[in-house]
Amino acid sequence: MNKDELRELMDQLFKENGLEYIIVRLESKREWGMRLSNGKFERVSSGWDSGIGVQAFTEEGVTGFASSDVLGLEAGLKVIQRAVVLAERNAKIGAESNRMIFKTPQLVEEAVDPRVYPFEHFSLAQLQELVLGLHQRLLKHNSEIAWQTSYRQVEDHWCIGRSDGTRVSFVIPRAVLMHQGTVRENGRAQSTLVNRSGVDVEILLKEKEDAILEKKALERAELAQEVCRAPQLPSGHYPLVIDYGLAKGLAHEAFGHAVESDHIKESVLGENGKLRKGLKVARSGVNIVDGPLLGDWAYQPYSANGLKRETVEIVKDGVLIAGLGDIFSAEEAGMEVTGAGRAESYGYIPIPRMTNIRLLVDQEIPLPPTSTLKEEIQQVREILKEKGELREEGKHLLLFGYRGGQVNPKTGDFVFQCDGMIDLADPSLPVYQPSIFSGKIISALQAIRGGLGQGCYDAIGTCGKSGQAVPSSGGSHRYLLLEQDEQVSLGGEQG
Amino acid sequence: MKLIAHLEDLLYKAQTSPADQKLRIRDWRVVVHESQLISLGIKDNAPGSVYTPPGYRQRESGEVLIVWEDGRLSQARVQAVSERNDQSGEEQLRQWYQAAYEDPDGREIPAPEAIPLVAVEDRAVQKVLAGDDEILFAQLSRLLKDRPEQAEMQAEIQAAWGYRHVRNSKGLAVTYQESEYALSFSFDSIVGGGFAKRRLIREEEWVKTWQQTLEYYQAMQQEAAQVTPQTTVVFSPGVADAFIGQFIVPNFIGQSILEGQSAYRVEHFEKQEHVFNEGLTLIIDPLRPFELGSYLVTSEGVAADRTVLVQDGVLKTPILRVKDARRWGTRPTALPLGTSGLYLKHAQEGLWPEVLQEIEDGILILSVLGMHTQNSAAGYYSLSAPQSLRIQKGKIVGKTDVKLSGNFFNDLKSPETRFAKSELSTKPYILVKTGLQTL
Repeated sequence: MNKDELRELMDQLFKENGLEYIIVRLESKREWGMRLSNGKFERVSSGWDSGIGVQAFTEEGVTGFASSDVLGLEAGLKVIQRAVVLAERNAKIGAESNRMIFKTPQLVEEAVDPRVYPFEHFSLAQLQELVLGLHQRLLKHNSEIAWQTSYRQVEDHWCIGRSDGTRVSFVIPRAVLMHQGTVRENGRAQSTLVNRSGVDVEILLKEKEDAILEKKALERAELAQEVCRAPQLPSGHYPLVIDYGLAKGLAHEAFGHAVESDHIKESVLGENGKLRKGLKVARSGVNIVDGPLLGDWAYQPYSANGLKRETVEIVKDGVLIAGLGDIFSAEEAGMEVTGAGRAESYGYIPIPRMTNIRLLVDQEIPLPPTSTLKEEIQQVREILKEKGELREEGKHLLLFGYRGGQVNPKTGDFVFQCDGMIDLADPSLPVYQPSIFSGKIISALQAIRGGLGQGCYDAIGTCGKSGQAVPSSGGSHRYLLLEQDEQVSLGGEQG
Repeated sequence: MKLIAHLEDLLYKAQTSPADQKLRIRDWRVVVHESQLISLGIKDNAPGSVYTPPGYRQRESGEVLIVWEDGRLSQARVQAVSERNDQSGEEQLRQWYQAAYEDPDGREIPAPEAIPLVAVEDRAVQKVLAGDDEILFAQLSRLLKDRPEQAEMQAEIQAAWGYRHVRNSKGLAVTYQESEYALSFSFDSIVGGGFAKRRLIREEEWVKTWQQTLEYYQAMQQEAAQVTPQTTVVFSPGVADAFIGQFIVPNFIGQSILEGQSAYRVEHFEKQEHVFNEGLTLIIDPLRPFELGSYLVTSEGVAADRTVLVQDGVLKTPILRVKDARRWGTRPTALPLGTSGLYLKHAQEGLWPEVLQEIEDGILILSVLGMHTQNSAAGYYSLSAPQSLRIQKGKIVGKTDVKLSGNFFNDLKSPETRFAKSELSTKPYILVKTGLQTL
């Protein structure tokens, strides 16, 4: 179903609906994907996922929810009916009411499609040929590594309507090319995963021209081989340099989740159920911003409740000034409504969450471009030394390759994992096995002391909050510098 | 029109009398799942809040695999037929044909076999979905009424019921009903309990789950002594399950082994290498009544049967889907559903309450942060485990925060590692000597 058909169905549903207050979410998602392994196709698939989700409200503001994967008038009306019945049932058990949606202003808007190439610009057969070509180039360079390549392109149309007349339509296009290499050495296996993302097939065309991802995959695989041979580091506290993928992890896991309005009651950045605005959480000059970026993996211009998604300055000059609020819990959490509600699909209730989160420091140390990753790391060492920022006694570790993270906003504990580590203090730049980077949210933020290189915001992932998988992204300077801190540590062998 | 009927009709016609010869099908298989789900929740002690209202979900979706006359394959996800997405059959076939690819090993469609009788449907769950849902609302009220006064509770109750249809061009035509029920709750987002099977929870299971969670929560209110390097680490069944999901399942997938992406290689299985502690057995058992990982037939049309992956510490077989089994030169194995259906058992495992009494100095790990970030193929882990429970002289005495580092393959191989049977979970407690530090 295209956007016009979704809009037409939305209008019909509201025409037929009674007096109940409802939010209707119509979604029509199309996806093509393929996976190659060591030169052969493992799978090529196509699929649709469309449906309707309805959140109904009683006059008191008690909610019921229903969904169906049949997009049609008759089915839609049944779903509305079911949601209304569940809302009434919920009211009878003394459920908590929330009338905030009734105060929300009407919005009628349609977002611009950010794509250059339409979904079917290339047929699936042509895409297979393109992706196979990119995969084979990797095999040609190094056939001893087990290579997997995958490509996905998604076209996700949404239409959100509310009983107040709100009608919001937008499309979220996404495309991603991934190379995964598995290396073996010393009886150890190590894998590395790199990606290039965007909104359409343009990423494949660009990759064919400039081979940026291919080069990155080969360099990372080489590093993975060194990691297989590398020793473990004693656990402890070290001065750190983290790449922008890890910095995105830090901003997302260690901070973003703790300022989401539905978590404030139990967040370390909340007090008496309100966001601790004005709290000094980082050094002066540290800023954290979240908001949709056109053409980005996690782009979403409107919330799943039909509000405009705002760009929010969460931390300004080291001070916590705002949170990520959705219509239902922002006021209670003492923050502005920023249209932060996102849902995995029509079948889920939206919850406040991030889109693209960036962590930036006012004073940026320039990092001139180099032709290889190794040269870049060498250059990082030299620049830090020149600026007097390198700790040459003991260890000064550079962490590379974000493998994911997790946080408990209640306790403030966070962890994330990297692909490996390099000791910048040693001129031979020895590599060490990866170990968990963990600590307390506030301590990690207060440890940030500088940024090296320009902003890179294309670190992508999937956020799994409350069991809903939603695309996330973000970044930082190319590298972020962190002071040694007793509350932030690296795992590893007993120190 | 039901999705399964639409697909059967479409594929049968394309096999026997296609309108366009280019779209002639040699073989096919289809799996369709029709499901209804109801969910209830509690957020921050509030039942049915705007984030956890009573919810109802209906889905009818599946997957199609087609072997075209030219030998190429197509795979597609399909969903309910509606007045808006009802493409003409030929249009749909043409689209699938466009997605065709070469994969000679993927063409096999299994012939029908005798299907075992496995209890995977609880009629009581069907009644809930038919509207008799008072039992779920009563459970929600009970959770709120019984919670510790000072605790902030989060909870979710889900019940699902539906049909699974599996069909193929070799004559397999199976339809069966299946149900699921899941309960999960936590206090202060620190300690939680849960239950998930293909049937409703029984009263004694409810009571035991609740009591154990309450005991753990009460123990969390007291700080305990820090650990030492000699402290025994005990992975709770939930943590053991997470370890199995992160380190065992990915390394036993036949395709990963064949493609060099696993910790194991084909020759490890051929030589039946001793990889685990010799009393340890790992099986996939889809035949156990009412377990989440139980089924009658796989989505590929293979009848359910038990598969021994590791016997007395020795590698026996990887997990083989139809295509991987063909490449391996053997028949397909049973398939786990995530970690459900996988059973890790030691020949000398005791019951947890008895084993607990024997632990002089231990730490019970109830949850870890960062498991999904660990490198599966290497087996190494480096994890943070805040809010773990200290064990001294056979008793849980309070909480402390720790960090773990080790190698799960080494843990399972070590003769020092012990196992204890859980009354509430199908996964065991695992007692290991591993890298341990105060967080």
